[in-house]
Amino acid sequence: MSEIKIDNILLSIFQRAFRSITDEMSISLTKTTRSPILCEAKDFVTGLYDAEGNMLEQTENLPILSFSLGPVCKVIINQYGKNIFPGDVIIHNDVFSMGNQNNDVAIFKPIFCNDVLVGWSAAKGHQADIGGAVQGGYNPNATEVWQEALRIPAVKLYEKGVLRQDVWNLIFANIRLIMVQEDIKAQIGACTLGERRLNTLISKYGIECFEAHKLELFGSTEKMMRSEISSVPNGTYYGSSKVYYDGKHLGSEFEIKAKIIVEDESITFDFSESSPQTNGFVNGTYTSSCSAITLTFLQMVNPDISHNEGMIKPLTYIVPEGTILNASYPKATTFGNHLCPQIADSIFKALGPAMPNRVTAGWNHLLCSLFTGKHPRTNEKYVDICFMGLKGGSGALQGDDGYDHIGMIDASGGLLDQDYEMYEQQTPHQILKHEFLTDSGGVGKWRGGLGVETFIKMGGDNATMVVFGDGDVESNYGLFGGKGSILNSINLKYPDGKLHTPLSKDLIESIPDGTVYKQIAGGGGGYGNPKERDVNSVQQDVQNEIVTKAQAAKEYGVIFKNESFEIDIIETNKLRTKKQ
Amino acid sequence: MKGYKLGIDVGGTFTDFFLVGNDGSSLIHKTLSTPQDSSIGFITGIKEIAQKLNLELSSFINDIDTIVHGTTVATNALLTMNGAKTALITTKGFRDALEMRRGIREERYNNHYKNVKPLVPRHLRFTIDERIDALGNSILPVKTSELDKIIEQLKKEEVKAIAICFINSYLNNEHEKIATEYLRKALPNLFISGSYEVLPSVRFYERVSTTCINAYIGVVIAKYLEALLCKLYDINFNGKLMIMQSNGGVVTPDVARKIAAVTVLSGPAAAPIAGAYYAELLGFDNCITMDMGGTSFDASLVVNRKCVTSTDGSIDRHRIALPTLDIVTIGAGGGSIGWIDKGDLLQMGPKSAGSLPGPISYNRDGIEPACTDADLILGYLDPNFFAGGKYILNKEKTIVLTKKTLGITLGLDAMKTAAGMYRVINMNMAQGVRQVSVERGYDPREFLMLCAGGAGSIHAGEICRELEIPMFVVPDVASIFCAAGMLLGDLKHDYVRSYMTRFSKIDKKKFLAFFAQMKDEAIRTLTEEGISKEKIEYNPSLDIRYVGQFHEVPLEVLMKDINEFNTASIIEAFHKEHNRKYGYELKNEGTELEIINVRLRAVGVTEKPQSLSGNKIKGAESLEQALKCRRPAYIPETDSMQEVPVYDGDILFNNFKIEGPALIEQINTTIFIGGSYNCETGIGGCFVVYNKFLMPNGFEKNISTQKLISNNV
Repeated sequence: MSEIKIDNILLSIFQRAFRSITDEMSISLTKTTRSPILCEAKDFVTGLYDAEGNMLEQTENLPILSFSLGPVCKVIINQYGKNIFPGDVIIHNDVFSMGNQNNDVAIFKPIFCNDVLVGWSAAKGHQADIGGAVQGGYNPNATEVWQEALRIPAVKLYEKGVLRQDVWNLIFANIRLIMVQEDIKAQIGACTLGERRLNTLISKYGIECFEAHKLELFGSTEKMMRSEISSVPNGTYYGSSKVYYDGKHLGSEFEIKAKIIVEDESITFDFSESSPQTNGFVNGTYTSSCSAITLTFLQMVNPDISHNEGMIKPLTYIVPEGTILNASYPKATTFGNHLCPQIADSIFKALGPAMPNRVTAGWNHLLCSLFTGKHPRTNEKYVDICFMGLKGGSGALQGDDGYDHIGMIDASGGLLDQDYEMYEQQTPHQILKHEFLTDSGGVGKWRGGLGVETFIKMGGDNATMVVFGDGDVESNYGLFGGKGSILNSINLKYPDGKLHTPLSKDLIESIPDGTVYKQIAGGGGGYGNPKERDVNSVQQDVQNEIVTKAQAAKEYGVIFKNESFEIDIIETNKLRTKKQ
Repeated sequence: MKGYKLGIDVGGTFTDFFLVGNDGSSLIHKTLSTPQDSSIGFITGIKEIAQKLNLELSSFINDIDTIVHGTTVATNALLTMNGAKTALITTKGFRDALEMRRGIREERYNNHYKNVKPLVPRHLRFTIDERIDALGNSILPVKTSELDKIIEQLKKEEVKAIAICFINSYLNNEHEKIATEYLRKALPNLFISGSYEVLPSVRFYERVSTTCINAYIGVVIAKYLEALLCKLYDINFNGKLMIMQSNGGVVTPDVARKIAAVTVLSGPAAAPIAGAYYAELLGFDNCITMDMGGTSFDASLVVNRKCVTSTDGSIDRHRIALPTLDIVTIGAGGGSIGWIDKGDLLQMGPKSAGSLPGPISYNRDGIEPACTDADLILGYLDPNFFAGGKYILNKEKTIVLTKKTLGITLGLDAMKTAAGMYRVINMNMAQGVRQVSVERGYDPREFLMLCAGGAGSIHAGEICRELEIPMFVVPDVASIFCAAGMLLGDLKHDYVRSYMTRFSKIDKKKFLAFFAQMKDEAIRTLTEEGISKEKIEYNPSLDIRYVGQFHEVPLEVLMKDINEFNTASIIEAFHKEHNRKYGYELKNEGTELEIINVRLRAVGVTEKPQSLSGNKIKGAESLEQALKCRRPAYIPETDSMQEVPVYDGDILFNNFKIEGPALIEQINTTIFIGGSYNCETGIGGCFVVYNKFLMPNGFEKNISTQKLISNNV
């Protein structure tokens, strides 16, 4: 290769062009997909990779997908070797060959420039159904992968531009919803866009120029990441968190244990001491666990670092097979993505003493439900994860309150509520209430983000509901004097007045028309002593009915004059200066 | 009768005027803005123009047909959260949609990132127990007793504006209408805005947010327009007053008062309109317009001679779903103040000295060095020729204070400090241009830079060098670019209705009725605005998706296809557009299409000036004739001061070639031609400045930008 001079303007052009291509792919998917999980909640990732499978850029709408394409790209490259041609389209979901979750199906398209393989465009999205025993894929009764999903190891859907109809038929004969075929077409479309754009870009500047600048980009990103790591004091740090109920054994508990070794400019995340794998579906996959680790660490470093191969180079992951974070073949794993909150907790707790300015108090853990049924108006099946209901608050940190209604850390505010009006068109349900929940932010000098309360009147007979998640047993943690928030809960009130509270992993069938679904998503944990919270902030929260006067008095030590929002300074000072 | 048309653009620091007569004459004028009440500067300027023309105010006023006005009143109210105290009344159970913003955090990995402060705080968000269901049926009527209780609260809180937005009102607006009318009766002095009047389309968050913006700035706009009309009445103005809208069109004050939200980008919206005009004039398809004012820097793209609009916009993260031009604004302008950050680094802006106290050099009690001060120290500005000598700049004081404030901390003399300020603000503006080009997937090197704002052309060369843009153009109206663009705007109104139906099930009658309805509304509005029925142009569009998709693709269609109900050709066009945008189509599968919204843009074509350049009297015969003097100016390429020739731009109409470094001074614009540049004068009323290293063959008119690159780079 001839010597290519690095052009700094071109460097930023490449960086931003990669970014805008994956963004454009992402916009394309948002606009074309059908399942609300994709088009509304944006549970997908788009990325560009070089010929060796190194990440050029990705747009992970949900951070939990931040690591999930690269390992698969390398699997595909190894599997096919030279048998890759222009016009190929490869599909993959298999969790035992680097997939992260059965429902997350990836599409890869090779990109050629003058007959040379120069890269890959890829899109991975959470499908509304993936076969297996239960529609939607979340099967709390599963013990093996086949009870959860159809396994798709890397296989070509198109070869040299020609659709392999037999393969297509085989796959979609095993998936319940026609919608999934359409969403896969949308993913292929997004990859085609990425292919067109990257091809244009590389053709313009030449392959050698692209290669040289790519390496320079990786290098500069790696340098930034290493300098962030070097600001953490060297040492070995420990943190742990608990997982409750595996969906099979009532009262079961598991532990996630992080051992984090910081050594100059490198950091190792070792989870070897975590509990062994479970017999239920509460098991991680290597890829989903590494994603969770990556996204948590990214919360603690400069948010402007580019997302390319250089970003992850200084990170080492040790997640041994056979643990709850990396189940061995053929264990069930659908819940694995949702171990992210616990993984994040263990990392924040471990690094708290080393990075008190960067860690947050506990985020609200995911507890959610997925509804399926028939829409009486259209007579068509629908699948919907109740996103608006599941989004609680984030943990506070030094200097700032937590973020209200942000949702679990796996998504970090990337998972959006459905639009209420569109929701009422696409499902037979009617939303009765979706508002912030008073007193739900964990108390502290900096308050945890608020949780929400959701009431939905379910329509259409015989709806099915799958519940999965956590956060209904142990409150999330406060930091440095702050406290945790209230627990998550879901319950149903049937038309005959009967109440039912599902377990945190549960399947409920034949829900009649008119049943009222009630959900509480808790807030985030607080940071620092609540009695030191700025009095004006407390006053504002009380006036806005986010904090009750009772909580203001009890936790924040702020007293109001009767029937007003005026602070009783004398009483407040008395309470606040009292020895704890 | 001169039949004057007058464009007036109120900016943060200056109010700009551009006057065109029907005899082809034109005049540029600037006066200091009066932020406490911008109508004062507006009227002052008109009086000053009359003086300049040696006319009695009354006879000048008599000769003005039309005034087109761009105002930043709404923008500023939003950016500074200085709108009216606003309440929201919504359906029970949905009190927080406005603040939740669907639970998004734009920066996933930044835990210090804060949510937007809502325009209506929670304690002013009220709910009532009413309900329209998903089919549009009223299942729980509005109880006025509930409204009565809220009215008491509103009075107690001394609220000034109310937004009303109920769930599913896009299907049936009865409840919203009842509540809106009831409240209007009870509280006649409040600005009350029902979502059905602002944005009658599906998607609750978009609608509630847009309606709240409308209410929040409605009072501000109404008050401002009232004061303005009063003052115009006082000077016996009988012509038409038009207000610039965010969609690039104009609107009468009466309409603007009701739907104030259309004026959110009233100020900068004229720049891309003028940009498209000049791109065409010079034979280019694509250009970037940059407009550097006193407080802010705006950048926008013209692609294929069209300004880019979208309904995906937001202002400071407040969602506004009305059609709006895509403009990136950053806080960088002549008034941007230099300061030292925690890491001892020099920073510029976004804080601006404005017009009061103004930069140090204005001699109006400003003590913090601003960009204009740096430009003065660096020799780009002549202290005795600022705005043509209207204001005398105090250079000594500027040098002393710049050294004393920033220089000492940085350990630099005044000149080196000013040079640092110049370079930092240029980098900031280059980043703004990157945002609107590179981050939208366009390579700025393939664009022509069209440079506006009085100070813009002092900085354009360095911005272009940073981005390797080979050429920038300074039109003779650069200093009042938006004011000129305003005279090119047509009356434009956008209408929308949600009609959710599959193509096979379209009720032709209903479909055509929606268009008839919108057309009626357009005709009513446009005739009120003085446009006769036959002069209205209609641009319909449909938001369409494949059945089962969630998001829709906006598709422009022909009015003919709507009237003739030619669905086949619409379907065909949709497949094509879907493929272009998203990489595939489902034509062969026979997938059905579904409409979500029907839209109509009605355009009342206005009379435009024949040329923006105006008649030129007697230009210089030779370059020497235009040479005013020589003075030292800062040369960024060598990081030193060097003596350069200064030309009088106001007489450079003929075609000359000027080699950089040099300065061209016009009354309101100074062009700095750096060491890397040459300039050709007198090209379509423009100065064309090109990088001599990137374009060694010089400038040719009418070559495509693509070709420009390949020819020269």
